Amino acid sequence: MAINQEAAQPLPSTRQRKKKWMTRNDWMGYAFSAPLIIGVLAFAIYPMFAALYMSFHQTNGTSLTGKWVGTNNYSYALSDPIFWQAIKNTIYMGVFSVILGIGFSFILASLINSLKWNLGKNFFKAVYFLPNVVSGVATSLLFSFLFFPSKEGLINFLFDLFGLQPVGWFTNPAVSRFSIVIMSLWGALGYNTIIFLAGLQSVPRDLHEAAEVDGANAFRRWLHITIPYLRPIFVFMLIMGTIGGMKRFTDVWLIGGTAGNPGGSLMTVVLYIYRNAFLAGQMGLATATSYLLFIIIMLLTMALMLLNRRKDSLD
Amino acid sequence: MAQAVSPSVPVRRKRWSTSQIVLFLVLILGSFVMIVPFLWMLVTSFDWAARLTITFPPKLWPEEPTLKTYQIAFTNIKMMRYISNSAVVSAGVIIVSALSALLSGYALSKIRFKGANIVLLLALSTMMIPFEMTMIPQYLLFAKLGLINSYWAFYLPALNYAFGTFLAKAFFDQLPTPLREAAVIDGASEIKVFSRVYLPLCTPIIATMIILLFLGVWNDMLWPLLVLKSSVKYTIQIGLAMFTYDNGINKQPSIIMAATAFSLIPVVVVYLFLQRYIIESIALSGIKQ
Repeated sequence: MAINQEAAQPLPSTRQRKKKWMTRNDWMGYAFSAPLIIGVLAFAIYPMFAALYMSFHQTNGTSLTGKWVGTNNYSYALSDPIFWQAIKNTIYMGVFSVILGIGFSFILASLINSLKWNLGKNFFKAVYFLPNVVSGVATSLLFSFLFFPSKEGLINFLFDLFGLQPVGWFTNPAVSRFSIVIMSLWGALGYNTIIFLAGLQSVPRDLHEAAEVDGANAFRRWLHITIPYLRPIFVFMLIMGTIGGMKRFTDVWLIGGTAGNPGGSLMTVVLYIYRNAFLAGQMGLATATSYLLFIIIMLLTMALMLLNRRKDSLD
Repeated sequence: MAQAVSPSVPVRRKRWSTSQIVLFLVLILGSFVMIVPFLWMLVTSFDWAARLTITFPPKLWPEEPTLKTYQIAFTNIKMMRYISNSAVVSAGVIIVSALSALLSGYALSKIRFKGANIVLLLALSTMMIPFEMTMIPQYLLFAKLGLINSYWAFYLPALNYAFGTFLAKAFFDQLPTPLREAAVIDGASEIKVFSRVYLPLCTPIIATMIILLFLGVWNDMLWPLLVLKSSVKYTIQIGLAMFTYDNGINKQPSIIMAATAFSLIPVVVVYLFLQRYIIESIALSGIKQ
């Protein structure tokens, strides 16, 4: 009996050498982790604090140090109408791309998932995902032509066929933000769809079967079983989409330039940071803005996480 | 007339219900929306008539088919240079990041040293820091080191691949620990245990990391925009972006589309061959995150 108990003890994985501060094992662990630790310290922790330091200083161009100006950089950004415009634009594009993106991709994933033909399933997965491997640069260049403001552009040509007036997709400040949303929907639809599909396959069969016995049709089962069951995935996508949306840069920079044309409607927060840091040499203002962006992202993320906290009858 | 081609419906099988056929048609229609931009890009890229401005009406076949547009794209935009630069940068980043992630993932999972949890927590929490916040100090750091316009500005930050560490640790956690204990008792060095015993079992997670890193590095634009100043060093995205940025967007459709189409070849080829794998990696990375 006693022997059995001894054998059941887990083998000591680290050879305990009487209370040494660091064993050979510990040294090995740090040696193996050294690349990661150096990388994290030098390219995440250090720049994070350096940015905080810089945000309270007035720097001239390329140096890390400068005159202490207190919270001036923050108050400058917060009183700059362009900053607020950037916030407004970023949130506008973010909200629409996240909500439409999640809605469309969830419907699409549900459709693909209910296809009973496996080859077809894989084919559609592959096709809808394809734009996702295309870079932001390529997508923007392509859509700058598809969204050509006169009827030569493909989309306006189609509008013309239906007797609609051509739209200045990227030239009219009233619609340009929504054009960006459409463009990013095309690019990102497949990504969310793939993740939803993986989620849909994890919904337990017996839940559906039980509901079917109770007389629920496919649509009601989708509404009352599938959707609540996938809530963590919805929350995950809301969070990832929001974070991504708040960092929008490549497409608006390429299409609208550093002024966020047309009419400043494509000015985003990161574009504002980029412009102040690398065109105006206002590193202090730019880092202060980046901290404001970080705070906004953190607050939004925490607010969205609360959605997952709420318990409902299914849990 | 242009886009009204009706998709050919495959042979109906008896067991197909009406709803399945409707579903199939809806999905085909949607696929069309996904694919048409690519088709337009290809058609335009081969159309000499669209070299200066976009032609009307949109074509299903180039009006004046030509390969000259690609030739011009190669001479004016130096596509070959940019593509090979991108290949070099991608390879370097993949090697550095994957190695850093595998080594640290192994240490955190199998060596279980003093402070391992703190290291893991620290690394994971830095994943929440937006790159946009750290990019300015990082830029200034590389400027101070004199590494602006050098690919070291890509290789060094590649050490910080916390997500890869996380993936690798989760993978090593599934591999049996007694393998290491047996080997250590036999007197094998830690690095030998790692490389001879565990690494050969890691192919799936290495493949996942390579795919995710390749797509990320190949398509990245913001960091190259900051650190690459001379056009001989440009990666493909920044080369393409700078050419249009200087020439004005919306100009020279067939040249730009030829260059864009060419820039997509590597990712699309990789996608076609590893499509299943990529989709799995994305689903995995999405769920893990």
